[in-house]
Amino acid sequence: MGLKGKSRSAGAFDKQRALITELDKRSPIAEQFRTLRTNIQFASIDKKLKTILVTSSSPGEGKSTTAANLSIVLSQLGSNVLLVDADLRKPTVHFSFQVSNQTGLTNVVTGQAPLQATVAETAIANLDVLSSGPVPPNPSELLGSSKMKMFVEEASGLYDYIIFDTPPVNAVTDPQILAGLLDGTVLVIRSGRTEEEQAKKAVASLKKVEANLLGAVLNDRVLEESHNYDYYGEG
Amino acid sequence: MEEKISVKDILQTLRQRLGLIVIITAAAVALAAGISYVILTPVYEASTQLLVNQSAADSQQEFTSDELETSRELINTYSVIITSSRILDPALEELNLIRSVDELRSQVSVSDSEESQIVTIRVQDENPDAAVEIANTIGAVFQEDIIDIMNVDNVSLLSPAELEENPSPVAPDPVLNMGVAFVVGLVLAVGLAFLLEFLDRTIKSEEDVEEKLGIPILASISTMPPSRNAGDLTSTKKQRGRETYGA
Repeated sequence: MGLKGKSRSAGAFDKQRALITELDKRSPIAEQFRTLRTNIQFASIDKKLKTILVTSSSPGEGKSTTAANLSIVLSQLGSNVLLVDADLRKPTVHFSFQVSNQTGLTNVVTGQAPLQATVAETAIANLDVLSSGPVPPNPSELLGSSKMKMFVEEASGLYDYIIFDTPPVNAVTDPQILAGLLDGTVLVIRSGRTEEEQAKKAVASLKKVEANLLGAVLNDRVLEESHNYDYYGEG
Repeated sequence: MEEKISVKDILQTLRQRLGLIVIITAAAVALAAGISYVILTPVYEASTQLLVNQSAADSQQEFTSDELETSRELINTYSVIITSSRILDPALEELNLIRSVDELRSQVSVSDSEESQIVTIRVQDENPDAAVEIANTIGAVFQEDIIDIMNVDNVSLLSPAELEENPSPVAPDPVLNMGVAFVVGLVLAVGLAFLLEFLDRTIKSEEDVEEKLGIPILASISTMPPSRNAGDLTSTKKQRGRETYGA
């Protein structure tokens, strides 16, 4: 299955390469993800952020990469982390971590499989992955169901952090439905690609459902050289 | 862009579009070079110099500034005469050229060397031989006809036009053309860069996010390097993947 998945997606290697926080812990990008981790940890003072949704306005802005690397850096602190592929339209997490997608989130939510038996361990300590599972005909209804809520509660009891990789906000309603259910939402913006209007629309959509929008991750940012020297010269 | 634009933004824009600017400028220069060297016909120039003297009777006297002024006026007069049909018509006849007087006139320019009594007739032609011939013929016709026209005989040929061994064209000037193309290309490219920047409504910087969306930046992630230790994790992951299936 793993091999099949690989041949099906030409981007499989790229997806793996994108797990840079594990591949190259001393890279500037890993450091930037650690900054993200710190800022998320400090984003909420009263209530600990446990369940975090990662989304973006449009496809291809780096949601999955951000979700995967955020999960990795959180696990590197010793916290138990679960990365959930809640993108039931175009799941990719199983490619990135090379795990089976025969059973996953949809099976757990519909009660076909127990959570603990379905999650896959990864090569990274403390990091488990829950792939999407079979793509259901009604992802929005599934994510908005009371069973989904129960799943979040159950997972919250088992893990310190649960990161949800989701479809784009402007494309489907899934992230809006989930955002209301989760502690915090991170909006991924790709520098030079995300259009201002699209991003504004995404922010408005998330605010409409009273999502706790923690902030934005600016992806694919071309940093000026001076910045690199200032912050990462020692790396 | 309704927001104020800083010098830094301008430099940033230029640097981002540097490739575009370089390509457009280089293309403009290459185009100018191509047109100059391949398409345009080279034009050659020949010149005859005539000396305009005071009449023999006055030659003993010393020049006063007044007289010098008179002779300068004469030269200006001659300049007009040279390009008139009175001179060019017989010159055309003598040259056996199938060309209108206006056409010939456009090839001829007359100039006087400053503070001197020398008139220079310059002729430009696509054929270097023809340029020399035309210049010399006009000089000769003028020298003859001026006796009739002004009742003076004070024009002498100083140096006739000669055909150089390897005549080099005066036009087109590829270097000049390329220089102009460089400047024009650069201006157009920079203009285009700013136009693209103006039309580009994407979010680029942390400031954009905070100003336009009103949400904080949690982190900026640099562009991922294309490949970095990619092999290592691939092998680890595969193994782990199999373990999972077994479990």
